[in-house]
Formats: sequence, C-alpha cells, structure tokens
Amino acid sequence: MTPCRIVLMLLAGALFASPALAQQVGTATAVNPLSESTPPGGATAPLAVGARILHKERIHTTTGTAQLAFLDKSTLSIAPNTNIVINDFIYDPNSGKGHMLASLTQGALRFVGGALSHEGEASIMTPAAAVGIRGGTVTIVIDRTGVHVIDQFGIVTIHNAAGTRILNRPGFEVTILSWTTPPGQPERVTLAEIDRLLALLTSKPGQNGGVPGLHTVTIGACGILGTQSHNCPDTPWLPTDTGFNDAGQLITQGTQFGTGTTAPAPPPRYSPGR
Amino acid sequence: MIGAESLGDGDILQIKTWRALCRRCAGALAPIALYVLLPVSAFSQTPADFAGNLGPLYQGILARPSDLNNTLQYAASASADDIESAIGTYEQLLFYNPKLSRVRFELGVLYFRLGSYEMARSYLQSALRMPDITADLQERVEDLIAIIDKKLQVDQFTGYVQSGLAYQSNPGAGPGSQTVLASGRAFDHRFFSQSDWNWFGAFGLNYVHDFETQNGDTFEASAIGYDAQEFRLHQFDVGLVELRAGPRFGIPTGDPKTSLSIKPYLIATGALLADTPYYGGLGGGLTVHTNVGHVALDPYVEIVQQSFRNSSFYPLASGFSGTLSTYGLQASGPIASGLGFQSRLGFGHASDNYNPYSYDVYAADIWLPWNFSFPGDGRLWTLIPTAGVSRWLYAAPDPTIDPNTTPRTTEWRLGLGLEIPLWRQVVLGTLVQYRADQSNVAAFTMHNLSVSAGPTFKF
Repeated sequence: MTPCRIVLMLLAGALFASPALAQQVGTATAVNPLSESTPPGGATAPLAVGARILHKERIHTTTGTAQLAFLDKSTLSIAPNTNIVINDFIYDPNSGKGHMLASLTQGALRFVGGALSHEGEASIMTPAAAVGIRGGTVTIVIDRTGVHVIDQFGIVTIHNAAGTRILNRPGFEVTILSWTTPPGQPERVTLAEIDRLLALLTSKPGQNGGVPGLHTVTIGACGILGTQSHNCPDTPWLPTDTGFNDAGQLITQGTQFGTGTTAPAPPPRYSPGR
Repeated sequence: MIGAESLGDGDILQIKTWRALCRRCAGALAPIALYVLLPVSAFSQTPADFAGNLGPLYQGILARPSDLNNTLQYAASASADDIESAIGTYEQLLFYNPKLSRVRFELGVLYFRLGSYEMARSYLQSALRMPDITADLQERVEDLIAIIDKKLQVDQFTGYVQSGLAYQSNPGAGPGSQTVLASGRAFDHRFFSQSDWNWFGAFGLNYVHDFETQNGDTFEASAIGYDAQEFRLHQFDVGLVELRAGPRFGIPTGDPKTSLSIKPYLIATGALLADTPYYGGLGGGLTVHTNVGHVALDPYVEIVQQSFRNSSFYPLASGFSGTLSTYGLQASGPIASGLGFQSRLGFGHASDNYNPYSYDVYAADIWLPWNFSFPGDGRLWTLIPTAGVSRWLYAAPDPTIDPNTTPRTTEWRLGLGLEIPLWRQVVLGTLVQYRADQSNVAAFTMHNLSVSAGPTFKF
C-alpha cells in the first residue's frame, strides 16, 4: 500500500460515508475486564465476548485485554490501556476485495492479517505515522518514546509527513517520534521486547478471556499415524547431495571407459606345416 | 459487497494529478482526515451480508466464539494453508487459557513457518514454563528453539555428519563377467560386477552470513564430503569434497508470500579414486530462488572445468577432462500433512578431450519426504521414497569398446530412506537404493543394489 493510497482511503471514507444503519464487521472473540466499547451514536458499555463489532466502533481497555476477529479473518489483539477505532471496514467475501482502516491513539495492539491485508488493503493510523500492512502481522506500540512498529510477517509501509520507511523482514522494528519526524532506521527487535509484548497482548494467569472451561486441548501429532494435525514443521533439509551419487557417477564412468581394456588376442599365425 | 462503493485501484492509479497533489498534501491531510472520520457513522448492510460467504467453521467463530470445539476445528483446518488465520485462532484459545503449553507450541510452529523467529521463540520459551508440558513436547520445543537460535544469528552454521556401513552388490557399476566387448578386446576382469561391503563417512556443512538488510541479502557457503573404503575392492575406494560459495541478493517483489533472490557462486571439487588423486573441478554457477504459492523453485546453471588424472587402475581417465555445463531446475514444497516433495530436472553437456567420452545427459529425480510420529511418541520419523532416471547420450562410438555403436544408456534409480530418531539431534539414517542401467552397449548394462545404515548427527 502506497502512502498516497492510505491518504486517499481516508479521504474516500470521509467523502462517501453517510449516516446509515450500523453494520457488524467483526466479533469480540475474547474479552478480559475491564474493556469497553462505544458503538457509533451509542453509549459506552462494557465489552463482552460475542459482542458485535460495528463500523466506527471505539474500543477502550483499562486493565483488560481483548481480541477482535473480523470478516476477512484478520484479528486484533488489544493490550491494556489502549484506545482504538475501527474507522473503515469494507469487505466483499466473494471477491476478497475491500479495505480496512483502524486508528490507534493509545496503547498497543497486534494485527494478524486476513484477506484484506493480503491484498495490501489494511492500514492502521497512529499519531506519528500511517502504517500500511501487506500480507502480514504487525505489532504497534505507543509509549513515551514514540510509536514502535514491529514487522512480524509481511511488508509494512510506515509513512508520515517526513518520509516513508518500508519493512520487509520479520523481526525488525521502526520507531517514529512524531508525524513530522522521519521514521527511524529498521532495527532488530529484542527477544525481551517480544516476550514483554506477548504477555501484554493476551490473558494474564487466572484470566479466561470471558470463556471459562478450556482446561486442555488435544492436538494430534504430525502425520497419519496420530490424530491429524496440519501444523507440521517444514520438511527438514534433506542431504540429497551427500556426494554418494556424485561418487557413484565417477566410479561408473571410470569403470565403463577409463579402465582400459585388454588387447584382443592376436589371430593364429599361419603355419606352413599345416 | 459489504459497505459502500470505494475508489477503485484503476481510478486512483490513473489520476496522476491527484497522486502528485496527494504526495504533497499527505502529511498535512492525513491527521485531519483521521479526526474528521472518527465520528462519522457507517455504511449500510443487511444482516444476511454478515459472514455470508465464509466457511461454516469461521462463521461459527464469529457467531459463537465460545464454542471451543468449533474454534479448535477451525484452527486445525486453517493451519494447512492459512497460517495467519490459524495464528489468530490459536491466540484466541490462549486468551481463554494462557497456560496451555500445546497451544503455545502450535503458535511457535506457525510463526516459525512464517519466518517470524522471534515470535516463535517467545511462544516456545513460554511453553516450557507451562505446568502441563509433557516430556515429549518439551523435547520438541527445545529442539525447535535450538534451530531458531541459529536462525537469529548473523552467522549461521548447520550441517550433518554420518558414518556407517554399506553393502553393494556391484559397487563398481561393472557388467557381468560373461560380457564380451564388440571391439574384440577383453573387459578388465577387476571391474566386472562383484559385491563388497564398505565403511563410509559423509558430512555436510552450510554457512550463512545474514547482512540483516531488509532485502535479506546473505553470503552462503556449503561443503560436502563423502568417503567410502571398500573391504576388498579397493579400486572403488572413493573420496570426494565439494565447496560452493557465493552471495545471495534479495530482490523485493512487493508480495510477502513471493520471494525472489539471485545467487552467483563458485564451485570447487576434488576426488580420489582407488586412493589416488583422480578428479578436480573448478567452475561457477548462477541460481535464482523464487516460489509459486508454496512451491519453491530454484533454477540454476553451472559450468565446470573438469580435470581427470590417469592412474594405474584408470589409465584412460584423462580423456574425460573438459567442460561440463549443467542446466537444472529444483522444486520443493508440501503435498499434504507431513508429506512434501523435492525434485530436480537437469540437462548436462560434457565436452571432453576424447570425443567419444563427450555426452549429453537428461535427468529427473524426485524425493518424497514424509514425516510421521507414532502414537504416544512425539519424535518425528522421516521416510523418503526416491526415484530417478537419466538418459545418457554419448557423442561417438568408442573404438576400444564398440567401434560401431554410439552408447545410449538409460539409468533408473529407486530408493527408500528412513531416518529413525535416536536421541535429540542423532538419527539412524538408512537407505536402500537400486540402480539399473540399460544400454545398447552390453558392457554398460548393469545393476546395483546398495543398503547403507549409520548414525547421523545433525546440527
């Protein structure tokens, strides 16, 4: 997604949007207290599991965390003390086309992409930059040191008034200080930071996301002899070029051509006595 | 369509003046637009639109997220081809119970498959701290963390070492003892088909230096070595070392699921045969790596200057010296759960000093690695059926063998490998391989059955 496209999307939303019936674009799939939501034109109320997420809905967490799942199969995990708004969500399940725009004004979130981001049509606005996401998974954190964008998969375009930075590799982070400051250089994110964010963006011990009763899961081992599970590690690297075949070829050619042959026996000499 | 019409791609791309204006104004307009948008209400939608064309399992997640059975089923089904969607669903389960080691392991594997190694490591490390982790799972987690730790290094080393015993029914690939050469000469009896055992050792070492650029530029080097010492037939003792090295340049594609890189490299090879120097090769190659969906493609071209030395066992070997050009395509990818494929198509042209030794060869090989585990044992076994065929077309008759027949040989290869996990990085590698050559020259028709086994240490 180009920076121009992000801005045009914002403008298009402003131009074409009209007051209408609120529509459901997703569902709150997990909620830990305290999290609350404000539907467009409605009153703020505690967010609950299964709640419909509407266009223009504002989600606010204080001590709680939440996860939202959207029509295009993308998800948002929301940290405590976070403010987000689902500004725009247009999705046609038949064609897989549309676009999504959310804004994060405080806190932290992890976006795991779905169909729209696979088309490069997902963006998250922050106070310091617009973040376009293609294909991917991204964590965004706003703290006292600025806005931190961590690429966890895919192509992430970070754009503001001072410039554009593109992240292509998982595990790299860019920090943006303000809308008028160029996005910083990509740096490897530390494992400690990832550990901290992982703990921040899910339930704490004792919490259940609003769905009690999940005590164990049975996930089959890889392969057909156990219960089926598709989540098998990639095929390990095979030493298909061990040298065995090359060595065999050297021997074969050597044997067939290179050994020399014994000269044929000379024809019997003429014996005048016979 | 859910929601109102939006500007289409074409509209936006064609309005160049808008783009120019947009670039100039983006910085100023975006924050303003953001705050204008926030209070605006939404587009219209009928209830039937919601989740209308989604699969039933995902509809269930949206309509009944607390239906755990449905969520688990969806996560398992999504893992096959929609890794991100599976991640979202397993993270949903983790919200419901953050102490499930198995869910954390699945998330670790999924992020690993995306190449997001920091996330994978964090999930796996946290799985080790969960009270419900089993010994089997702990071993798998620790093994995967060890792999990830290497991938997170700037300088990465991986490889294997194997040693073992092998039996071959015809290690010299010689013809039967009744074979008569059309030239009238006699085939050297030391090279007729006869069986033997050997000890063999092999190693492979891969090195990658990650320049940590956003394009993924690296420097890569690899070395392989193989040595086999026959128990009786020392004319077939063979040793071989090959080095390859070169930089790999990543090329941005704009699509995170399509990779593209190009790598020029140098090749150096040396070999002993019958315990004397036999072959040296020096050359270069160029390969491109890309993928179509889940299938990785690696076309390559190599040109190697080959030099052979005569020896007492092989007095005519220097005739093989010349130039070997190889053009090939390697492809690999998944087929089904635990089952993948690797394949190679190749064409080679050897232009040798002694023209009858020159040849064209067409080759095709396929490997079908299949990972599986037995119930109650989380360790992975790997079964690898292999098959291959080569067609050798020599340039001219060799007067010493058959002055009237230009050799044409078809080589068939069938194999079955089995890697049995012994302990952590140690597996027992076994291989049964049958090779049969059919030729219009009787001396080149042969078959060989080889069986080998030995412990392999992977690192």
